[in-house]
Amino acid sequence: MNAVGAIVKRNLLNFVRDKGQLLGTILMPLFFLFIFSFLMKSAMSGFAQPMNYLIAGIIIMTVFQGSISNSTAILSDIASGFMREILVAPISRTQISVGHILSASVISVLQGLLLTLISLLIGLRLDPIHLAEMIGVMALAGVTFGSIGLFLATVSRNSASFQIISAIVVMPFTFLSGAYIPTTIMPKFLMPLVYLNPLTYLTSIFRFISLKMEHTPTAALVQEGVAYNIHGFLITPGLGLLITLLIGLVFLFLCVRQFDKADFSNVKVAARRH
Amino acid sequence: MQDIIEVEHFSKRYGDFKAVDDISFIVKEGEIFAFLGPNGAGKSTTINTLCTILDKTSGEMRINGHDVSAQKDKVRKDIGIVFQESTLDEKLTVEENLRLHCSFYQVPKSEAEERIRFALALVELTDWRKATVGGLSGGMKRRVEIARGLVHFPKVLFLDEPTTGLDPQTRAGVWAYIRKLQKEKNITVFLTTHYMDEAEICSHVAIIDRGKLIAFDTPENLEKQYTSTTLTIRSREPERMENYLREGALSYQADGGRFLVNIGKTSQALELLSLFRNSIIDFEVKKGSLNDVFLSVTGKEIRAS
Repeated sequence: MNAVGAIVKRNLLNFVRDKGQLLGTILMPLFFLFIFSFLMKSAMSGFAQPMNYLIAGIIIMTVFQGSISNSTAILSDIASGFMREILVAPISRTQISVGHILSASVISVLQGLLLTLISLLIGLRLDPIHLAEMIGVMALAGVTFGSIGLFLATVSRNSASFQIISAIVVMPFTFLSGAYIPTTIMPKFLMPLVYLNPLTYLTSIFRFISLKMEHTPTAALVQEGVAYNIHGFLITPGLGLLITLLIGLVFLFLCVRQFDKADFSNVKVAARRH
Repeated sequence: MQDIIEVEHFSKRYGDFKAVDDISFIVKEGEIFAFLGPNGAGKSTTINTLCTILDKTSGEMRINGHDVSAQKDKVRKDIGIVFQESTLDEKLTVEENLRLHCSFYQVPKSEAEERIRFALALVELTDWRKATVGGLSGGMKRRVEIARGLVHFPKVLFLDEPTTGLDPQTRAGVWAYIRKLQKEKNITVFLTTHYMDEAEICSHVAIIDRGKLIAFDTPENLEKQYTSTTLTIRSREPERMENYLREGALSYQADGGRFLVNIGKTSQALELLSLFRNSIIDFEVKKGSLNDVFLSVTGKEIRAS
């Protein structure tokens, strides 16, 4: 497992050294927080903790988007030629893909934690147990969507196609999850899509923890868009956690398998510059 | 000496296209082996298959006794590779690149430091250890890659055009490292190059064209077999010279007072020169080069792409 650790360490170093990317991951969520807290003020007047409700959604979205985009590290490795150094090393494909998924998760959890720290200054109140649970859910989100991201990157194998695919996946999933816009104020005809979106359940379990809703009655949870009553079938945050875990395992398996059999030998490598 | 690389009836097909068609050769431990060919001849296909990146269609390929398709990880530990394209992580420092390589190749932590020091000293980059790779010049990056290819102490070092695009000074430097390495560590060097003068100093040369191996021998033997030595003389007595050449049944071309004489060995020139000692204005003995061999067997001039 030494090689997996080495890949994680290397990807972390690369992430930290890219100052622009680092700044972007802090500024983007803050920008969203600013915009949506204004936009949603009137719409969210019925919520118990409107600001924290929004903050929780934005934190978990940062982890989601971060894990998808961080798994593109492999695409820049292909473009820069470094991928060949990894491919001819005496390490297995599985070690490489697991290393990339792990580093995408670690980085996105760090991004989420950074935002959590800032949120503590704004007014989010947490105790250590809740924070630990939040980290757990963030890590689960990181592995799940890091796997999906790497799966898509392996299938597309170049940045241009990945951009298109990830735009198609990321945008609708984000907006139909209730993270930015509460699902309770969404039009009825969109609700089937909301129910089909795995991010919906990820968002609800994360809100459930960070807003300390463990003593809130189920009816109130449904009212706040943290639990869902689909024609009498109740999806509690706990069930949502199970759904996310299941999707995560499926994609982890699919991703590792896809990466094991992918042929990277004919990938065009940029010519050496002198 | 032991056979370190064995290639027997290796073929690689892409659909109906035969990229490499039934080639065989061996490389002995500790030698510098040059693999030459025009662009698109099948050089990269062969190297990539030896390096376990591609799978062969048929034939046998072994490095240090291990099959390159069936025992990939064993082969990978035994080889170091410097590709034509850069494969360094540009955001990391020189040292970080080497350390990463050490963890990929399971170099014991206690030995990594010593090996990195050795490899960097060999390519004279000790002072650049903490420099970010992205900021280095092309020649320095190539040296970093050579150092990196060595830290796991491979048995064979593959160099795919290691000096292409480098200035003459850096080229000479890279060659000095390669020879030092071969002498000190008895590493086998397998290289492709566009520079015939570089191939000249190799122990064996293989030339591939259109997927077939068309020549495989020492540079001297190839030159003997495919080229001739010419003596160019300008004489004050062209008639006497011409008579002598005709009587001696030597093949020659006359051009005014200048004669181009094909001779078998350079020593044959001595005889002619001493005979006409007093009437020679100028002379030149030119041996056939590997470039001439290449031209003669492929019908093409080797060119840098």
